[in-house]
This record gives sequence, C-alpha cells and structure tokens, in this order.
Amino acid sequence: MTTAGAPRLKPIGRAISHVGLALTVAFAGLALGAGYWQVIRSPDLSNAPDNPVVIAAARNVVRGQIVDRDGKVLATNKRDAGTGEPYRVYSDRAFSTVIGYATPQFGTAGLERSWNAQLTGVSNGNPIGDLLRKFQTDPYDPQKLTLGISSALQRAAVAGLGDDRGAVVMLDPTTGVILALASTPTYDTSAITDPQTSRNAFAAVRDAASKPLLTRATQGQYVPGSVFKIVTAIAGLGSGQITPSTTYPEQPKAETSGLVVGGFRVREHAGVPARSFNVASATEWSSNIWYALTGLRTGGDNLAKFAERMGFGTQLPFDLPTARSQVTNGDGSAPGGFSDDTELANASYGQGETLVTPLQMGLVAATVANGGILMKPHIVIATTGRDGGRTIGPEQQNVVIAPDDAAAIAAAMQRAVESSIGRQFTSGAKVAGVPTAGKSGTAELGGSGAPHSWFIGFAPVESPKVAVAVIVERGGRGGERAAPLAGDLMELYFKTFGR
Amino acid sequence: MTAATSGLPSILGPIRPRPRGRETKLLAVVAITILAGSVSLELAPRVADPGVSQGLSLANPLHIAVYLGLIGLAHLVLILSGRRMDQVLLPATAMLGGVSLLLMERLPQTLVSQAVGPWKLGLGDVQLAWLILSFSLATALAVTVRSDRWLRLYKYTWAAAGVALLVATYFLGDEINGQRLSLSLGPISGQPAELLKVILVVFLAGYLSEYRPLLVEESTKVGPISLPPLPFLAPMAAMWAIALGLVIVQRDLGAALLFFTVFLFMLYAATGRPGYVIVGVILFLAGSFVMYRLVGTVQTRVDIWIDPFKSPTGDGYQIVQSLYAFARGGLIGTGLGAGLPTVGGNLPIPAVHTDFPLAALGEELGLVGVMAILGLFLVVVERGLRIAASAADDFRALLAAGLALVIGTQAFIIAAGNLKLIPLTGITLPFISYGGSSLLVNGIIVGLLLALSDRGVEPPPPPKPRSRLTRLTGRVTRLATPDAGRPAGRT
Repeated sequence: MTTAGAPRLKPIGRAISHVGLALTVAFAGLALGAGYWQVIRSPDLSNAPDNPVVIAAARNVVRGQIVDRDGKVLATNKRDAGTGEPYRVYSDRAFSTVIGYATPQFGTAGLERSWNAQLTGVSNGNPIGDLLRKFQTDPYDPQKLTLGISSALQRAAVAGLGDDRGAVVMLDPTTGVILALASTPTYDTSAITDPQTSRNAFAAVRDAASKPLLTRATQGQYVPGSVFKIVTAIAGLGSGQITPSTTYPEQPKAETSGLVVGGFRVREHAGVPARSFNVASATEWSSNIWYALTGLRTGGDNLAKFAERMGFGTQLPFDLPTARSQVTNGDGSAPGGFSDDTELANASYGQGETLVTPLQMGLVAATVANGGILMKPHIVIATTGRDGGRTIGPEQQNVVIAPDDAAAIAAAMQRAVESSIGRQFTSGAKVAGVPTAGKSGTAELGGSGAPHSWFIGFAPVESPKVAVAVIVERGGRGGERAAPLAGDLMELYFKTFGR
Repeated sequence: MTAATSGLPSILGPIRPRPRGRETKLLAVVAITILAGSVSLELAPRVADPGVSQGLSLANPLHIAVYLGLIGLAHLVLILSGRRMDQVLLPATAMLGGVSLLLMERLPQTLVSQAVGPWKLGLGDVQLAWLILSFSLATALAVTVRSDRWLRLYKYTWAAAGVALLVATYFLGDEINGQRLSLSLGPISGQPAELLKVILVVFLAGYLSEYRPLLVEESTKVGPISLPPLPFLAPMAAMWAIALGLVIVQRDLGAALLFFTVFLFMLYAATGRPGYVIVGVILFLAGSFVMYRLVGTVQTRVDIWIDPFKSPTGDGYQIVQSLYAFARGGLIGTGLGAGLPTVGGNLPIPAVHTDFPLAALGEELGLVGVMAILGLFLVVVERGLRIAASAADDFRALLAAGLALVIGTQAFIIAAGNLKLIPLTGITLPFISYGGSSLLVNGIIVGLLLALSDRGVEPPPPPKPRSRLTRLTGRVTRLATPDAGRPAGRT
C-alpha cells in the first residue's frame, strides 16, 4: 500500500552527515588496522625470516659475533672468496645445538634463529634505539651476543655424554643464567654454513636418524622417573597437605605387600625397609609408596598447580624453542586432569603419563636451591652493538613455595646424595668438600631396553651456586650414569669458578 | 564593469580578483612539506647500498619546481576568477599529489617507460605529466563551470554514454592480464571505468533528486513488512545492474565494489531510509556469496584474504609483502627513500606504484604518515560533504556528496585491501597511485566540487510542481504504469 499524506521530507543535510559519519568510522577502522600491523605486529613481521629486509640483511650484513661468558668467540664470519658474501664460522661443535646455524640457503636454527634480528642488526631489542637508528645513514647495527654459558662446562658436558644421546642443563639458580646446555649428538654447524659443503652437510644432518637438529635439552620430552618426586614434595609441602614430619601408618605394611590404588598395585623397588618414612627418609630411600601416598593426599589439582608454577603445561619462555612438560595428559576427569587415583599415584613418583624436558627438571632443582623462587632461565646475558649495549639481568619468574619448605626438600635431597643409604642410588654425585643435594631417577620405559638415567641436584646446599639436570637416554639406573656425570660437572664448576 | 574590460573570453567574465588567504597559507604548508620530503628523499641512504651519503639537494629539482609552480599557478587562477570557492580542497589534493610525485620519483623509474618523440620518460616523468593535466583540468573546470544544466538535464544521455564506453571496452579493449580494462584511441589509452564512476554519480544525483519525494514517502507493503517503492527503484537498479554486470564480466572487482558502495551511500543520502541500506547490504552479501561460489577470481581473492600467510610465496605473496612493508615502517617509518629493500634487484611488491602505494608510504612514513594520508582523504570527503550540505538544491547536494564519496570510498577500498581488512581488489588510491585515467578523473571531481562550492553559480531551476503521483493515494500498481513512470514536471 502507498502512504502519502503530509510531506515528511527530511532535510538532505542530515542524511549526508550520517554518510560522512559512516565513512569516518570506516577510516578509523583503517587507522586501527594500520596500527595493528605497524605497531602490534611490527616486531614479529619485521623479523620474519622471509621478510625482504631480513633476507637483504642476511646477504649484506656481517652478523654480530657470539661469545661465551669469558669472551671466547663461538661464532664469527668469513667472506666467500668468489661471491664476497659473508658466511658464518663456528669454533666449537659442543655449542651446535645451542647456537645452531645461519645460512642464506637453509635458513636459521638455534640462537641464530631466535636472535636473528639482533644479530643482523635489523633490531636491537630497544624500541627507542630502533627509532633513533632510522635517522642514521647505516640502518643496520649488528649486535654481539654474550652467552652465560661457560665453554669449559659445555665441552665437559658434551664429552661426558659421549656417544650416548642425552642432555645436560646447568644453571645459576639465583639468576637463571644458563651455564651449560648440552644435547647430544652434536653436529658440524660450520659445514652447513660453508658455501663449499653447505648442501651435503645440511642434507646429512636433516636426515640423520639420531635427530641432531632436535635440541634435546629444551625439546626432548622424557619420562622422569624418581626425579619427579621432588615436584611431588614441592606440591605436598607447598599446599600444606603434608609437613616435613608427615608419615603414613599404612606405608610400612605396603612396603612388603605393595600399595593397592584403584585396583593397581604400586610396588616398591628392592631393598627398601618396611619402616615409617618422612619426606627426608623417603627421598633418601627413594620410596615409591611414600610418594604415591603423598601424591594422593596432596591431590591432583595441587600437584598440577605447583608443577604449573614451575612451567609445566606451557612452553617455557626461553631463548630457544621449548617443548611442553606435562604432569598428565590432562584429558582425565579427576582433579588436575588425571584420569583416576591410579594415574595420580603413579605420576607422584614419575611413572604416570608424566613427560618432562631436561630444562624443566633443571628449573625444579633450581627452584628448591633458590629458596622456592624460580628465576627466568636465559642464555644470552648481554647484547652489544655500535649504539651501546643491553644487559639481560635476572628476572623472577614465579614464587613457587615458601623458603622453609624449600629448605626441608633441600635437606632431604642432601641426604639422598650424602647419607650412606642415599649414596647407593646417587653414587658419584657428591662434590668433594662441597655439601651437595640431589635426586636420581631411573625412568622405566616398558619393554626390554635399559631405562633412562636421570639426576637433578645443586650445590652447595646452603648457598647454591649451580643447579644441574642430567639425562642419559637408555643410560641405566640414575646412579650408574647421570649422577656421576652431574657430580663431575659440579666439581668442574667449583674448580673453574671457585666456591 | 563589463566582461569586455578584461579582454578574456566572455565565459570567464570580468576579472575581479578575490583573495584566498586560507588557501595561500595551506598551500605554503604543502610546498614546505613537499620540499622537505624532496630533501629527505635525496638524503636517504638506499638499503641496497648503505652508507652512500649525498649532499643536501632536491630529489629532482625540476620536477618538484614544476609541480609546485603548477599548484601556485592554479591558486593564482582561482584568485583571479574571483569566485567564492572552497579553499581547502586544492591544498588537500595538492598535498596528496605531491606525496604521489615524491613516491614516484623514489620508486625505480623503469617501472614505466614511455617514448614521446625523442624523449624517453620514466615513472616520475609520466606521473608528473598526468598530475599537471589533472590539476589543470580541475582548475579549468572550477573556473569555467557556471551552470549545472549540462549535467542535470541529460542524465540518461550520460548514463547511455557510460554504458557505451564499457561495452566498447569489452569488445575493443586491450587485454592485459586477462582483463580488458583499457581502451585505446590512437596514441591515447585510458580506463573507461574511471570515467564511469563520475558518470554514475551524475546519473544517480539526477535521478535521485527528481524522485526523492517518492522514494521517501512511498512504500510497497508485503504483509507486515514495509519495503521501498519497488517500481521507482527499478529503472535505477537496472542502470546500476548493467554497469555492475559489465564490470563483473570484466573482472574489475574493485570498481564493482566502489560503484555498489557509492550507490548505497547516495541512496541513503537522498532518502535517509536505513531500510535501503539494509536491503542493499543483504543483496551485496548474497551476491558476494554467489560470486564466491561461481567466479574463480573472487574465490582466490577471498581465500588469500583469509590467510595470506598460507602461501606467502604464491597467491598470498603481494599482500604478505604489503603487510611486511607496513610492519617495517613501524610508528615513524624508515624515512622517505630508505624503505622497500630490494632482493636481487627486485622490488618486493611488483605493483607498488598502482595497487600498493599505501604500503610503500606506510613503510617509509610509518603509522604517522599513514594517519596523515588517511586524514587528508577525510578532509577531502568532509569538504565535499560540506559543499553538499549547503548546496542550493537536491541535485547539487547529491552530486557533491557523490563525488566526494567516490574519492573517500575508493581510498578506503584500496587502503583496506592493502591492510588485509577486506579482500584485495585492484583499484587506484586517488591522487597517489600511478595512472593517467585515475588522475584525470580525480581532477574532474575536484574541479566539479570547486565549481559547486561557489554560491554564485547559476541558481538552480525552480522546484518542480509536486508530481501528481505523490498526491495519489491509490495502489502501487497504478504508479508503475508507463505514464506514471515517466519523469514528470520537466516542462
């Protein structure tokens, strides 16, 4: 139907102002879009490997050097005789899994990748400096990276792992500075960057069955075995569900018959006496049953919560890519994501669905060593460029537990290394003349092969200087392979840096 | 005073200069900015050969001088014309044109090469020539157009001419990259779709101003829903569909989107009825969906838009490189001339001078520069809409609004495409992109807007007596009879 009636023509100006408003809003959207790409996404897109400025920089710019904590040069540059383009030269194969490589053809890996923008000088990590640099004639300011890693410790760690596959993490628990980060096997990074040998060397490393490009220290996911008991102790004491003197009346009997949890029988390993344990003696004897009972009392939610405070469940923020450590698959319906009490009990002594990275276990040891405070781990401690430098200082990542709880666990770990009983499991971990704390682990993998050999620890117990995590794949019991290597490395630390 | 005293053609009338102080001041700012940009361009170290330092000089002194001289001359002519025209449009568009000239000076000159007689012209030379023609055209129109009758009375003729141009392009055009968008006439070639957008605005302004009362007051009721009076929309929609259909057939998605959006804007401006816009947007979404399913080009564009990083070296290459360029610019940019790193001598974005000038400017001038350029476009739109709002009658209001909206909408479409806010469509950034047709048509738009802004132009014809149709209270079907459909009251 048609409606006519009185003319009700609105003035045209009103509608036109609406149209103007609509277009203004649309332009505001454009400004927001530009802001998103030019400010929020600017750092990651500008440093993307296929960004022409990064490619141009890689071809034209002489990358910054990488040196160890003593200034020893680990990565520097040569020029190709033919093309005149610079290429990378690395001095120490022990650093291959940390530093990685940078080539025009095969991209980048390791620190060369994660610190690419700083090494090429596209960015120096300081927004104001990046702004000011645009007013200078040479837009590139390649940064020199100083690592906290000691060449001596790094080499000793790689040498100690030998032909075995495995990883070593050593760090200063009070600052989070990484002192050694070994993963084996290593590979020849200089062969990958040398234009003469580049193609074949890269293909060989990429296709090798031993997967040298996988940085085991940060990306290897392992069954932890008994070293995980320290996480259970942290959760139990931290949540207040247990005290340092907590004992379980049912434990002595279960030592002989086994502990039945939800139809599954948790068994003790041989030789553990049928006595009442507390956290210290249970750690000394590495009692599966005491820790299973502690895990059940603590509860899955608390166990997961305290593990998360140390970085479980997320990719640890770090200089290198990290894999996620997990307490459980997380798909169960019980508190904390466990499927049932059986899984929780098994996880409490490191044999559930638990998977950890060596770096994560190093942080567990460092947390106990540093009075319950986790410092953010980092490899690069300084960058230096034409326009000055930047130091990357200690940064607190989380407060995990109270200092007295940490002290109780440290005391238990000291007994696990130094008492006559503890020494049965952790032989060789003790540093002569230095109070040493630690915990070994023997991760059963099922099947017939040898277990993974684990050790985490720190020294000196009172004011720790160094924390360590060692895993040797298929290395046997913890005391056989990992504990002696950790002891040797800590001893070398004190020999090199003093007490 | 009589016209004879001036000695000029009588069309210009007697010379009674009228100072344009505001325009003078703004143009001084433009000149200083462009000169500063020129110096900055010359001082910038090229990424390809860092460390090469040059003395203080201008990018291409002759080009810059010619351009600024031309703008000054245009200003002088406007003063001499004595008309009371808008004083912001010329500085705003001159700034955009100046930025364009700086950018085209800065890009590799080999992107364009044309031989004119004994001279070989590069990108900067050709763009300067088009800028000169564009601003000359704008000034000429601004000074000479004193009546809108030639636009007002012949809207159907204009529409037919526009369609004829498109059809001619389709059958006679030069095929480039599978598209036939340009038409050659001897040595001159151009893109008719550019001119079509002005023709479309003229037609819509004429039609909408004539039928505005009917479009506002009448309704077609379908049950409880009150729809616009469909019979009155039909001829206009048909006109629109023909243009749009031809554009789609030619795969010129950017122009199609522009036409559609301007059409909706003008329809709303004329009627003030949001219902039209809602129906239009629904139609647009439905049409887009159908095109997405049927037309391969559309599907590719949308897929690239959703995730260009899926194939950063394939289909998504240009847009990924555009985003990289914006990201490299950051807040304040790399500086004019210091961006766009070349790899192996190649520019990262091949079509940077036509489709991605904003990405290049975003890199070299930063977010600050992008905001400034977007702001200039908004100023142009605001001036156009202001001229519209104070126009003497509906036709002039709709014409001015439509012309301004063409600039604003086109700038939005290509800028949003560059920034991955909407799928990318190949269309020029007004006043900045390289291209003769685009610059000339933008010159026409500025010229017409300036002329329309003068209150002293010939008064509009007296309002027509309300058509008897509006007095009808009968059924809609009666309105659709041939007799009723004819525009009434012209005699």
